[in-house]
Amino acid sequence: MIKHLHFLVLTLFFLSCEKDDICIEGSENTNRITIGFIDNESKNPTGISLSFIKGINNDSIIESFSGNELKLPLMVNSNETKYILEQNEVKDTLIIFHQTNHLYLNRSCGFKSNFLIKSKTEIIKESGWIREILIVQDSIYNEEKTNIYIHY
Amino acid sequence: MKKRQTYIFIISLIIPSAMVFSQTESEVNDSLTAKNKILNISKIRFGFDVFKPIKSLSEGDNLNYEIVGDLQITDNLYLAAEYGLIDRLIEDENINFNSNGSFLRFGFDYNMFKNWVGMDNAIFLGLRYGSSNFSNKIVSYNVRNSDAYFSNFVDNNYQTIDHSNLNGSWLEVVAGVKVETFNNVYLGFSLRLNKLLSTKKPENFDNLFIPGFNKVTDENTFGSGFNYTLTYSIPLRKKK
Repeated sequence: MIKHLHFLVLTLFFLSCEKDDICIEGSENTNRITIGFIDNESKNPTGISLSFIKGINNDSIIESFSGNELKLPLMVNSNETKYILEQNEVKDTLIIFHQTNHLYLNRSCGFKSNFLIKSKTEIIKESGWIREILIVQDSIYNEEKTNIYIHY
Repeated sequence: MKKRQTYIFIISLIIPSAMVFSQTESEVNDSLTAKNKILNISKIRFGFDVFKPIKSLSEGDNLNYEIVGDLQITDNLYLAAEYGLIDRLIEDENINFNSNGSFLRFGFDYNMFKNWVGMDNAIFLGLRYGSSNFSNKIVSYNVRNSDAYFSNFVDNNYQTIDHSNLNGSWLEVVAGVKVETFNNVYLGFSLRLNKLLSTKKPENFDNLFIPGFNKVTDENTFGSGFNYTLTYSIPLRKKK
C-alpha cells in the first residue's frame, strides 16, 4: 500500500507543474482607428501623403504616410487621443474623443480595448489644411471599415 | 490531457474509500484482537500552516494564514478541517489584482501507516470539500495591443475594477505525512489536488485565483496546493 502512495504523491507532484499560458497569435486584439481622406473638390475618397504624424504626449514620430487609409492607435488609458498631422508643411491637430471599454479575453491574453468615437471629435486648426471631419463608423471593432473621413 | 487528469482524479477518489472497506474486512478476521476499532475518539489536534506566513512576509502580502485541526474517530480515520484567510496581491502575466477572502475545507484523513507501540506517525490519504467567499480588485494591467505607440498600461489612476461577493467550491484529494517530532507536537506535509465544482465569476473578468483553491487555469478545472503544518495534540484518552 505504501508503494501505491508513492505513486500517488508523485502524480500529484507532476500535476502541480503547470504549463505557461501563451496568448495565441491571432487572438482578438485592440484595433486602430481607420481614417480615410476626401478631396473637397472631387468629393471622393482619395489617396494623400502626409509628411509628419505625431501623437501628443508621445515624443516618437510615426513615419510619413501616403495612401488611402491611415490607421492610428488610440490611447487605451484615456478618453481622448490627439495627433498632429502635417501636409505640405501645414500642421493641424486632430482630437479624437472616444469611449474606451476594456474587454476581458482570458488569462493569457488579458484585456483588449474597444472604442466608440464620440461626435465631439474635432480639429484644432493652426493653419488649416483640414476642412472638416465626418464620422461614418463610430465603433471600432475591426480595421476594415473606415471610421472617420477627413475632408481637405 | 484533460481526460487523463479526470481519470486520475476519479481513481484517487476511489482509493481511500476502498481502503475503508478493506479495513472493515480485516476487522472481522482479527476478531481475536481485543481492540475495539469501531469508534476510538482518542485525540484532537490543532495547529497552523507554517509556510504561508513566511511566504506572505517575503512577498509582501497583507494576510495569508491557515489554521488546521483534526479529530481522531477510529484507529485510522480522522475528521479534518482547515480554515484560512488571504489578502494578497497576485501578479499575473498581464493583470495584477488583489484577492481577498476566506475559505473552509472539511473532510477526512485515512492513516495507512502502521505504527509501532508508542509511535504516532501518519501517512494518510484524505478527501475534502472546500468553499471560499472572496473579492477581487484589479490593480493594474496591460491591454493587449499589437501597436505599442502609446503605453498600453492601465492602472488605478485611470480605472479601478472591484468585484465582490464571489465564491467557489471544490473537492480535494489530499496525500501527506505527519510526524510526531516532540511529545504531542506534529510536523505535517501534504499535497493536494483540487477539482473545481462551481464558481461565481465576475462580469468582464475571471476568477484567476480562489483563496484555498489557489491558481485557476484557463484550460481545465484542476488546481493544486500544499501545506506545511505544525499541530499540537490534546489527548482525550490516556495512551495505552
